[in-house]
This record gives sequence, C-alpha cells and structure tokens, in this order.
Amino acid sequence: MIRIEDLRTSVEVALEYIKGKKDVIDVEVFASWNEKITVRLNYTSDIPCNGVQEPKSIHSYGLGVFAAFKTRNRIEVGFGSVTGDLTQEGVLEALMKAKRSRVYDPDFKALPEPADKPTLEDYHDNCVMEISVEDTVNLGWEALGGSLNTFTNGGYVKSIIVGGDITILKERMVIKSTRGINDFDESTILTANITSMIEKENVKGTGWDISTHLASFKPEEAGKEAALGAIRTIGGKRIESGKHNVIFGSQPLTDIALHVLIPSLNLISVNASNTPFLGMLGQTISSYNLNIYDDGSIKGEIGSKRVTCEGLPTGRTDLISSGILVGFLANNYFAKKFTNNLYSPVPRNGFRSSTGGRQYKMKASISPTNVIIEGNNETSKEELLNQVNDGVYIGRIWYTYPINGLAMGDFTSTIIADSFSIKNGRICDPLKPNTIRINTNIKGILNNIIGITKEKRSTLVWGSEEVVIAPEIAVSNVQLDNIAGFLD
Amino acid sequence: MKIHIEILDKLKEQISATVSGYYKSLKDCKYLDLRLGISEFRSASSENGKAKGVRDDCDLSFGIRVIAGGMPSWGFYGQSLGKNDLKSREIARLIKSGVNTAYERAIANAKKKSEFKEVADSLTGVRLAEVEVCQETVPAEFEIDPRKITLQKILGMSMDVSKQMKALDASVRFTAVEITTGITRELFCSSEGAKIDQSFPLTQGVIYVSAQKEESSPEVYYDYVGDLKGWEVIEGENVYNLSLLDFALERTRDTIELSGAEFLKTSEKEEVVVTDPHFNTLLVHEIIGHPTEEDRVLKMETAYAGRSWLFYNLNENQIGNQIASPLVNAFSDPTMMGYGHYKYDSEGTPARRVNLIENGILKGFLNGRETAAVLGHEPNGSMRATDPSLVPLVRMTNAAFGPGEKTPEDIIKEVRDGYYVVNHRIPSISESRENFRISAQKVYKIENGNLTRLYRGGGIMANSKDFLMSIDAVGNDFKLYPVPNCGKGQPMQIMRVGNGGPTLRGRARVTGC
Repeated sequence: MIRIEDLRTSVEVALEYIKGKKDVIDVEVFASWNEKITVRLNYTSDIPCNGVQEPKSIHSYGLGVFAAFKTRNRIEVGFGSVTGDLTQEGVLEALMKAKRSRVYDPDFKALPEPADKPTLEDYHDNCVMEISVEDTVNLGWEALGGSLNTFTNGGYVKSIIVGGDITILKERMVIKSTRGINDFDESTILTANITSMIEKENVKGTGWDISTHLASFKPEEAGKEAALGAIRTIGGKRIESGKHNVIFGSQPLTDIALHVLIPSLNLISVNASNTPFLGMLGQTISSYNLNIYDDGSIKGEIGSKRVTCEGLPTGRTDLISSGILVGFLANNYFAKKFTNNLYSPVPRNGFRSSTGGRQYKMKASISPTNVIIEGNNETSKEELLNQVNDGVYIGRIWYTYPINGLAMGDFTSTIIADSFSIKNGRICDPLKPNTIRINTNIKGILNNIIGITKEKRSTLVWGSEEVVIAPEIAVSNVQLDNIAGFLD
Repeated sequence: MKIHIEILDKLKEQISATVSGYYKSLKDCKYLDLRLGISEFRSASSENGKAKGVRDDCDLSFGIRVIAGGMPSWGFYGQSLGKNDLKSREIARLIKSGVNTAYERAIANAKKKSEFKEVADSLTGVRLAEVEVCQETVPAEFEIDPRKITLQKILGMSMDVSKQMKALDASVRFTAVEITTGITRELFCSSEGAKIDQSFPLTQGVIYVSAQKEESSPEVYYDYVGDLKGWEVIEGENVYNLSLLDFALERTRDTIELSGAEFLKTSEKEEVVVTDPHFNTLLVHEIIGHPTEEDRVLKMETAYAGRSWLFYNLNENQIGNQIASPLVNAFSDPTMMGYGHYKYDSEGTPARRVNLIENGILKGFLNGRETAAVLGHEPNGSMRATDPSLVPLVRMTNAAFGPGEKTPEDIIKEVRDGYYVVNHRIPSISESRENFRISAQKVYKIENGNLTRLYRGGGIMANSKDFLMSIDAVGNDFKLYPVPNCGKGQPMQIMRVGNGGPTLRGRARVTGC
C-alpha cells in the first residue's frame, strides 16, 4: 500500500523538477495508488461448486505527466506514465514519454485552473483501507449465507443458484500543476451485487448493497433480498406482445440511464456527433416532470469524490431540468473546446476511470459520478401504480444496448427478474423471466413519463462504476415483445 | 531506457525457479501458477485529420493463482509492474509477496468453505483436470516488425486516413482513426512444471465515422481491421484485403449513403433473411460462442453475462441434440490465424479445435481445467485473460460457422421476397442466449432475387434455436473477422476473439427504428 503522503511528496518533487525544463510551458502531474478486491460467488446446489469462487485483487500505482511543450512556433501536448516508480528517475521517464508522444492538437486550449473549494473531506474508511484477508473473504460468505438461509427457511434447497460478487475499491490520488491545481483524494467503496435463482421454477431475484464504510456495509442483506426476490416471482406468466404502460423500477431505470441516456449527455458524444440530442441544448427533450443531474459531492454516496482526476472540485451538473436539456457532462478539454457565448460547461466529470480505480496511465476522460433522477411532482409507489392502473412493473432488465447506435436513441433489453403485471393499480402476477424483450427509443421514454416516485435508491449495475440515485418511473406505450416460446 | 520483451530471456529461468521453489514451502498448497506479460506497443489517434495523441510505451503485469487448504480453494493476486520491478531481486520479492497474498486468500476461503459444507453439500474442493505439462517457446511471427514502425508513420497514417474520410462529403460530421501495433510476450509457469513462453504481434486499425443529412439522425459506424500480425495488416494483409485507408473510405461511403436512406420498419412476422459473413460474425459470437463457454454452462456467470439454454443440468441438456439445421456446422479453433489464435491457453493447456455443432447437432463446450473436471470432459484449452493481472476465464477463440457449398449470389437469387442483412453493429441477447436482436449496418430489400432498396437502422430478431433450425442455405464464402471488444467477467475483461462464417439464409423478424 502506498501512503497518500508518499504520493504527495512524489508529485511535488516531480512538478518542481519538470517546471524547470526550458521547453515545458505547463505541466500536470497525477499520481495514484489503487487496489480492487473482488470476491466472486458461485453456488449451485445441483452442480459441484466453490460457493465463494475466488477472492482476487488487482493492484497498481504510479504517476502520469501531461505537459505542454513549446515546439517551434506552436504548443504541443504529450502524456507519459510510469508504473511502480515514484522516484525522480520515474518522473524523468514519464516526462520523456510525454515529450516523445507530443502532438499539435488544435483543440487543446489550456490545463485546468483552480475553481471552487471541494466540499467533501475525509470521507474514506481506514477500516476498508486496511481490511484483512479473512474479513474480505468472510464478506463473500456472508452474502452467500444471506441467500442460502433465506432459501432454506422458505423450503428451497435444490435447483438453487447464487452468484455475484463483493467488490472493494480503495483509491488514493494526488494532482499538482503549474496552473495552481494542488489537491488529493482518498476514497473507499464497497459493493455487493447478488443474483439468486430457483432454476426449476425459472425465477431470479437480485439484491445489492453499497457503502463507503465497512460498518454500514451489509452483504448478507443483499443475499437475502436476492433470494426473496426469486421466491416472490414463482409462478410467473407470459404477457401479450404490444404497447404497455410500464413502471421501471430503480434497477432497470439505472440500466437504461447508464447504457443509453447518460452516454448521450456527455460532451464526448457531442464531439463525435453521436447523440440523439445533438443541437438540442435549451430545447425540451422530455416530460416537464423530469430532472436529471450528476453530483459527485454527495456525502455517503459511492460515486462521490472530493476532486476530479483533473484536480477540480466535484459538484452538481444539471443535465435535464423540467424537461429541458440544460447541460452535458464535461472534462476540462471538452469544456474549453465547447465553451461559447451561450454555453459554458463546467468540468466536473474529468476522471481517469479504469477497471482498477483512478488510473495514472491515462488522461482524464469523462465519467458520471452519482446520477440523480427526480421529478417536479413526485408521488408514492401506490399512487404510481394507480396512475398506471393496468400495465407491467419491470424490476430487472439485462443487456440494455442502444441497438442502432447512440445517435438513433433506439434501445432494446430483456426482462429477466423481479417483474409483475399490474392490474387495477395493484401488483399482480409475476412475469415469467426471459420471455419479454423491450424494443423502444429513449426519446419516447422521456416524453411519455406518467409519474415519478419520491422514494429513490442508490443503484449499481454490472459493468458500471457509476451510481444512479433512481426513483421508479411510469411510462406509457412501451413496446414489449414476447420471446423464447420454444423453451416453454 | 525502454523495456523490451527480450528482458524475459534473462528472467524466465529465475521466475520459473522461484515459482517451483516457493510452492514447495507452502503448507497445504495443491497448485500454483504464474503468468507474467510484457506488451510493447505504439499507437496514434486522430479526429477529422487532426492529431489527438500518440503513445510509445509498454505494459507489464503479473498474476498468481493458488489452490490451497484442506478443502482446496482458489486465491488470486494480480499487479501492474514497472521497469524497476524487473530487477532480479525485486521480481523475486514481488512474486513471493503475491504468492503469499493469493495463498492466504485460498486458505481463508477453504476454511469458510469447510464450515458451510454442513449446510451446502454441493460445495467441493477445487480439482483441475489433467493436462500435458509443456515447456516451449513460441516466437512472434510477422512480415513487418511492429517495433520498426516509427510513431511519425503511425500518426501520419492515422491523420491522413481520418482527413480523407472527412473530405469525402459535406455530410461527414466527424471521423476518428486509431492505430495500434505491437508485440506481447507472456510467460506461464506452474507448480506442475509447465514453462511456456509465447509471443504474438497485434496490429489494429479502428475507424469511426458520423454523417448527417439535413434534419435526420446522424448515421454512425465504426469498424476494425486487425490481426495477430505486423504492420502488414494496415497495408492490406487482413480479412478485407484492403489497406486501412481503402477500408476506411469504403465504410465512410457506406455511411454517407446510409445517412440519406429510408429507415427500416420492424416486421410483424418472420421474413426470409440472408445474412452476410460480417453480420454472422456477431451472430455466431452471441448465439454459439458464448452459450458454449463452460463457465456459463455451469451457471458461474448467472449474475453477469448469463447462463446457457444449451445446459439445464447434468441430466437435462442439449448435447447430442439437433439444435440447428443439418446444414449448420460451428467450431472454435485457436490453431487457425485470427484474433483468437494461440498455441497454449492461459492455463498452459495446448490449444485445439473444438467442433461445437456438427450437421446441426450440439457436440461440445469450450472449457478450462476446472470446468472440465466438473463435467468429466477433456480440457480443450479455452482459458484466457485480458492481461496477466486478471484471472483467466473460459473464452471462445476463433468461433465461426463452417462453410457450405453455395455461392452468396445464388443464395440471394433464390429469394423471391426477403432481406439481405449486411455487416453487424450492436447485439442485445437474452439471459440464456435463447433470443437475440442484432443490428446491421445495411439492410437491402430482396425482390425476385435482386437487391432493390437500401435501409438504415435495421437488423433482425429471433429465438436462437428457431433461427438456427430455419437455415436452408450456407455459403462458400467463409471469412473470419477480428472482434476486439468482447466483455466478460467481474471485473470486466475486454478480450479479442475471432468470429465469422459464410453467408447464411434463414428466417427472422426484421427490426427497425
């Protein structure tokens, strides 16, 4: 483990060393240490298995140098990094790589400059930073135990599957630049994502728990929730293909947000002409009731960070306000590129996100933090069910993709668990999993919102580091198609 | 001083000795393996003819797997490495430290597994199927050494291609090109005595184009040329037989034409669809490659990438059953060239071809040593990891539909009323791979054997078995394409695989916008 003090010393020494170089106009030094531990579950009651399949980790540290060089009569920029070496020799190597890789990029304007003060302080958990091997492994078995006990108590011991993982992410970073950026960050994230099945009943339930602190992390509850979800949906039925009024629960709403909507509200997509909202800033793109914003400064949420990987404070970026498109997620590079008289994006989402944490090996791209979806007129779940009256409650979807590319807005997905029909404003029969495909368009979803609940849940989906603080939303006229009849 | 892959010449005996020596000192340790990799690469990217970035760097990492404990269990450790870590003393220290962590995890896991065994009797100790223990050095093969291509040349090529794409038409709003070329060398050592040193080159070009006419949605497309070869890939030695520039311009012209085309509408019923080899690349990947991976078969991916409709349990499964038309054959073959090529997998198992479907009958699955032991199968060498710091997973290799005898022209000519589905885009597959919707770059209407109209935003949707059973023509135009971005596992690993096949004709609903 590399201490934050060691990263700070290294970055300070590096900056002093590099800024003395004649051809360097500006430089930014970023150093980080990351450890990601994953405890993967695999329990199958009818097939020999390990229960906890594998406690594993990936670990890295190093520093990256992004420098602007004066070359003849123009400015060229380059990036270089070095792994496992925070000494001056390592700094020199990273600088040489940056110099060797410098190019003239006319879209580069300047390195970030200090903005407001960060609001989050000391929000990581040292107990997570120093968690023992045994405690780590036990978290996995606690989650499995939560599911197995729930199934056993319900009388289900055969045809059981429990999968998923406990993931622990520890991150430390320091950044300093010749433009006055000088900051650091330490964060800890714990997630439990559990899926349980009674396979002979063809039912599946999911449960999750997330926290920044070990004391409030409850993987066993995630295991229980997943098993209860499976038990609750026994006896599922098919529904007819056609247009339905639906309620998207927090998991499907998160899946749609992270795979279709939020990537479309990002300046990288604008830059690549790859969003259905191209040229629509300031225009109405959804129901008046809808507000969406990103906020990386919310205490206790796992998407929160003190500063971005560009050293700027995290904060709130409004994306959709009362149905109007008001902004896009930005980093420094694209914020400066797209600033004009009418729009001045604030770079609050410049992150070097990778599989294993805040990555010194790369320049800052754009990533969401905590995405908050809320309504102007929020209701209770009961009221939402009444508004829908007859329709479908969708609790978990899978493999959600913008099937014709982001720019078209079309997306498709299958309903795999935790879902029910709604009759006369009440949750009714469970839906048979894996028998319905959603075929629709994000613009249609945004413009056909019937209602939004007040209650929200911080939600994660597989393959994404970001969190959506998601309500449940009701939408009219969603195309659902019956599939996989050959398996009946 | 830069790191080169040749540094492994000096280190591999020491690393191998450290692994075998340290293994013997660990109580109750049943198995240990180590993978260490060095990847030297150069890359450049540009947008609209302007430079965006270049890299001339190397990545190093290692990973350790241990099976230990009274009820044998897994423990893993992975780490990125730097130049200084490859000094003789330091690498020995890091390996021992990594082994200790993996071993402690395995022991802790085994202890809890024993406790849970009382209430969960399917819990069992890890067992690996036997494989031949190999020691071999496999050199990289190429015509033009990736390391002799200058950064200036790579950047110049990237800028020129994206500039010419942009200049093709005023409707082209954005173009991007990224080129990477390099060599990777990986060492595998195990407590069983394996010592395998494999190197391979990789060269890839990615092109991206967005075109928009009037108020219509932008038409966006991206595609790749690539192979486990040297710079010759960029100059035209690839599946398209086109230089990167010609490939990029062809795709850009398509995109320009499509940006003004009519949107396809979703059909109410099944239609006759002829799918080209590029489209079948994604089709075989999703509905044959993935559901035949044995970790999915054994439900190990239930929470992530899903299960497989081909296997319900040990007694009820589709092995030996007709799951496709008798015209359909499919295989996964790491011994043929392509993105899924290698001689040994990440467990040191010799690679071999696996016939997955023969004349429509399901014959077998892709496996690793652990899943093979569970099912009593012979290991077929299908385990890979994106880099050595990550655990190996069961992965398709070069998975493809086998060729038939008809020409693609004849297959289309025989269609009175149908659709010709060309070049894959994006998939969405249901949980056990029993149903799919896959979009295409282009869809043409077929009327009386002729292509009569071009549509955008189209694709097909079907139940996997229904579609496979409906296939009534298989072309003789077999091709294998690179797929560089197959995601699987937790943490997510992005893997390169080869996929392809010939032209096929079957029945599916066509999908639109």
